[in-house]
Amino acid sequence: MARIPTSEMTVGPFFPREFAQGASDLTVLDGEPVKGEVIEITGRVVQVDGTPLDNLVLEIWQANAEGRYDDPAFFGWGRAATDANGVYRFRTIRPGAPQGRVPHVNFIILFSGLMRHLQTVMFFEGEDNEKDPIFKAVQPAERRTRVIGRRNSDTYTFDIRLRGEGETPFFDD
Amino acid sequence: MIEIRPRDPLTQPQGEEKGYAHTRTRWPSLPLQKRPHTASELSGPLLGPHALARRLPPVRGDLAGYGEKRAIGQLIHLRTRIVDEDGAPVPGTMVELWHCNAAGKYIHPNDQSPSPVDPNFYGAARLLADGNGLVELRTIKPAAYAVPDTGGWWRPPHVHVSVWGRVWLSRLVTQMFFPGEPLNEHDHILNAVRDPEARNRCIARLAPTSQGPADALVFEYEIVVRGRKAAPSL
Repeated sequence: MARIPTSEMTVGPFFPREFAQGASDLTVLDGEPVKGEVIEITGRVVQVDGTPLDNLVLEIWQANAEGRYDDPAFFGWGRAATDANGVYRFRTIRPGAPQGRVPHVNFIILFSGLMRHLQTVMFFEGEDNEKDPIFKAVQPAERRTRVIGRRNSDTYTFDIRLRGEGETPFFDD
Repeated sequence: MIEIRPRDPLTQPQGEEKGYAHTRTRWPSLPLQKRPHTASELSGPLLGPHALARRLPPVRGDLAGYGEKRAIGQLIHLRTRIVDEDGAPVPGTMVELWHCNAAGKYIHPNDQSPSPVDPNFYGAARLLADGNGLVELRTIKPAAYAVPDTGGWWRPPHVHVSVWGRVWLSRLVTQMFFPGEPLNEHDHILNAVRDPEARNRCIARLAPTSQGPADALVFEYEIVVRGRKAAPSL
């Protein structure tokens, strides 16, 4: 029988620290290193007045190095939380381009004051991002620069502003 | 193939809430962007048997404890079933539950409330659902507590729930409420859902006490994650 999806509600300020830890390294699975170019994705998350947000939860979902989601030797899901400076950090591998897409990493953001979780996507600097249907869905086009992770050797910086001047584009599904 | 369709906005909080100040500093001011769905959003961490447990191992199947280690509070069993929009169970999914103690205090270091910690209560469990999408947690009933600096907003007793559906877009984090609590009518979080029937579905049901364990109340709760089987194209 058809059902209506349950209402989302905020994760609140007390998401257990323990739950937010130990899941931010995607480069190892069951004790074995996974295939691909190891990168770090890091960034700072702030609210309307630029204040960094502590204990904000980020979850990611990405393809393997070949752009596939069904690889039993790679698990493209991870979770991290921000520290008192609003900084999060994932260790992962650079995803390949899935069919019809450019390389990207999906983000979910959970925090107190967010009644529903927010969805955004990090694209990679230097890729042909304008070919991507989800990149192109960001309107107006000037905002697309806010969903590109900036490269510095093997680190990509992806800062997130929830609200205010230069706020990150978020998706509604 | 799983299909994700738009939801009725009356069944979901819309972002900013007058009584909840943080929503006005954190919820985006610009409209959310519509996008097409591709394999990236329509796949997810439940691919493969117990995939999620490889990164998030189950922890603490019982929060109430026994004997000298028994947590203070009304003993309850939370029986939660995870289904999709077709009503089909989501077998083997992961469910995270966390809640405050019987004095209204969380184990979290950011909880500044002066209420006492219960040394026998650690309010966080992660459970693997069975083949019928069912998890059962033995715990104690959480208390209501005042939200600081809000001029009288009290949270009704509630349990936080985090669960995964079949695809990335089915991720769900919500709160479960208890029936018959007078604070339910005034809560800024529960009442951010405008449809009264949708709110009612966020409130657990007390199972008949004649059928449950002798020492605990059983609350039943169904969570519906997004996603239904796409109709085959003709």
